[in-house]
Amino acid sequence: MAKRVAIVGTGQTFHKSHRPDVNGQELINEAVVKALADANLKMKDIDAIVIGNMDHFEGINYVDCWSVDGSGGTMKPIIKLTTGGTTGCTVAIGGYHLVGSGMFDKVLVIGWEKNSESDTTGAITTAFDPVWDRQVFAGAISGLAAEAQAYIARYGATDRDGARVSVRDRKHAMNNPYAQLRKEVTLEEVLASPMLADPIHLLDVCPRSDGACAVIMASEDTAEKICPKPDWIWATAARHTYSYLGDADFGRLTSMKEGSQELWKKAGIKEPRKEVDVIELYQPYSFGGLIWIEDMGIVGPGEAPRYIWDGNTDMGGELPINPSGGVIATNPIGATGLIRCAEAAMQVMGKAEGRQVPDVNFAFSSGFGGCFWTDMILHGKKKPK
Amino acid sequence: MTTKQMKGFEDSYVVEGKMALPYTYFAGSVGSKFITTIRDEKKIMGVKCPTCNVVYLPPRQVCDKDFTDIRDNWVDVGTSGMVTNFTVVRYDDKHLPRKAPFVLALIKLDGADTPFMHILEECKLEDVKIGMKVEAVFAKETTNTILDIDHFKPVAERASIHERNAGRKKWVADAEPAIQGKQKGGKPDMSKPVIIAAALTGAATMRNQNPSVPYTPAEFATEAYKCWKAGAAMVHVHAREDNGMPTHDHERIRATYNAIKDKCPELIVNLSSAVGMGKTTEQRISQIIAVKPDMASLNTNTMNFSIVDRKTGKIFIEYVFENTFTMLQEFGKAMEENGVKPEIECYDMGGLDNTLLIAKQGFFSSPMNFNFVWGVAGGQSFRADSFIAMMNALPANANFTTCGVGPEEFPCIMQSCLLGGHMRVGLEDNIKMPNGELAKGSYELVEVAVNIADSLGRAVATTDEAREIMGVRKK
Repeated sequence: MAKRVAIVGTGQTFHKSHRPDVNGQELINEAVVKALADANLKMKDIDAIVIGNMDHFEGINYVDCWSVDGSGGTMKPIIKLTTGGTTGCTVAIGGYHLVGSGMFDKVLVIGWEKNSESDTTGAITTAFDPVWDRQVFAGAISGLAAEAQAYIARYGATDRDGARVSVRDRKHAMNNPYAQLRKEVTLEEVLASPMLADPIHLLDVCPRSDGACAVIMASEDTAEKICPKPDWIWATAARHTYSYLGDADFGRLTSMKEGSQELWKKAGIKEPRKEVDVIELYQPYSFGGLIWIEDMGIVGPGEAPRYIWDGNTDMGGELPINPSGGVIATNPIGATGLIRCAEAAMQVMGKAEGRQVPDVNFAFSSGFGGCFWTDMILHGKKKPK
Repeated sequence: MTTKQMKGFEDSYVVEGKMALPYTYFAGSVGSKFITTIRDEKKIMGVKCPTCNVVYLPPRQVCDKDFTDIRDNWVDVGTSGMVTNFTVVRYDDKHLPRKAPFVLALIKLDGADTPFMHILEECKLEDVKIGMKVEAVFAKETTNTILDIDHFKPVAERASIHERNAGRKKWVADAEPAIQGKQKGGKPDMSKPVIIAAALTGAATMRNQNPSVPYTPAEFATEAYKCWKAGAAMVHVHAREDNGMPTHDHERIRATYNAIKDKCPELIVNLSSAVGMGKTTEQRISQIIAVKPDMASLNTNTMNFSIVDRKTGKIFIEYVFENTFTMLQEFGKAMEENGVKPEIECYDMGGLDNTLLIAKQGFFSSPMNFNFVWGVAGGQSFRADSFIAMMNALPANANFTTCGVGPEEFPCIMQSCLLGGHMRVGLEDNIKMPNGELAKGSYELVEVAVNIADSLGRAVATTDEAREIMGVRKK
């Protein structure tokens, strides 16, 4: 009964720091309408919906219920999935499971966030254990700073290496009309921006955004009828590793390492650096663009700075990363992982317009969350065997 | 709730909302035991997984690696540990545990395998390093939470020997010089500061044995300075050529001596009058007369001085170290006439007796300074009772120090220190630390000697005190 699954349509909002002109369901609706238009489908064609956002960010629960006007979920099977920062990728994996199971043929997947409505750090703090971690927790940036600090200590990288990643993503965002921050920066500007937590400068990290993204998945029975060149989902993986803050191997993203190994194995990929054509990485800060591609096996431990400096991950390079500008340019958290998925799908489908990487056979998208967990998807042009 | 308009979106009202929901979080019996142990016993406890042997902190009911129930397997992990990672948080947010800037650190307590996130205080931001030792500071008043550990602070590093010496009264000679240096009614004089000497090279220790052996004058100066910083009042020197061969060349010896004096003017420099194997009598003494160091070694009997395999007894190098009565007399006189205080090297009781015999001529200035040398192949091995016999044979007012070859270094200096004598260490005599690892330099061996003095409650002599005790000329 298991089916192959393809993405047949995507839609996203023009992401902004504030969208006071719409409420949550209206924001969701913008993305859903665009995805339906992209797939040339009507709401009645959709068999089930998966939706997700961050807990506590808008302070309103059960988006699966109250947003049905916007999501199209009225009297349809709809479930909410939320896993923190990975939510956007998790909803896609959930949609893949629903379609792949053979129980639903066309599934609409939605991720969204009105980050401007929230007290971000206050809301994120609720993700941490109230007895052990919350009282000493110092926000998401500090945890990432500790990761970067450990990587620097182990491999002798510098804050210039991190800044180079930020310069790349912010340059790429210039090609993406949906990105929130579309301003090129120089290495010097990144390094001169205020230090938030050593070694992370303001321009090393993502903004807070309002935005939504929707993706439509269809089974092999109908996918190619809907879309002549769909984006086939080859494999997914999810790894959640953490119990308490100190348990993580700071400086190495174990969840990325184990998850990507599973992904490559499922797809029969031997040399990800040569076989994958484009990556949309959930990379909320610059150093993640160094550390995590090593954990993915793109390059060896400590080799990422050289690889990045040599331009390999720039547009036109060997393996472009974040042609959309990535998370550093746009971060409506509950949507962010799904935007990565949609952007990777657009690359495979040849619909990425000004940010299109030529001849994409395989694309990788990921979600990253909270305390170092990672979800990921491998997208492909060919139908999986 | 209130509504307001947002700038730039005048047609769109926003509604202000706020939630303040009370919760009651249960720490559970595992968490509660951890908290009450901190509160009542000021002890930090983790749990050890018997399957994978990982000690977890915070404690937990189940090991996430193998799903073993570990709730009852408590272990004390201690209250000090190491910073494994940190960041300096430089932005303020009302949800952060401290006002910026502050240090958020991952701390691995000594008995735990998983680090633990907490706040580091009582140190400068720029001084925080991965690997620094820290200890828990418990909250004054309990809140029955993890914040009963209020924060961590750096473990105070022991003050340097110079800081400690600056904080104590200077030693001055006893009003009754007759009992100076002698045991008082069989009791060792522990009130006298202990002089630590570092023998930087000798004639035979080469860089292939320990890369820290100095050859050039600049290297000698650097090594001597490190030893002085660590607590040595004197260095003993056999000058070397650039290729490491021991030299009797006056210019090279003077350059080495001066380099040490330039770098560290107050340090006592003691030159060898043995120099190295095969040197003539003239080569051995003329350099002392030429350079006129603070002090020089004076060897007391003709003896085998060989290199022998200690395990098999096989002889590698056969050598007779010539120190006739005439040489003992002429070298001793030359030193005294040139203001160079002799350090009298005794490789066995015979050498000491030779010295006492010649001393009857009366040219040795008081106090006489003896060094009991142990473990030369040709001299005697270290034995505690031999040490005491030699000490008891010393003339009144004499000082004694000691050195031992290889692993004999540590027991002999410890015995000397506890009997009121002095200590010599260094790469000339021994290249390894007590744990068998190569010493990073003679200075590390000086640190061992300082620890011995500390354990016995003896002050470490400053260079001034050492000059006064040994009767060496003022700098």
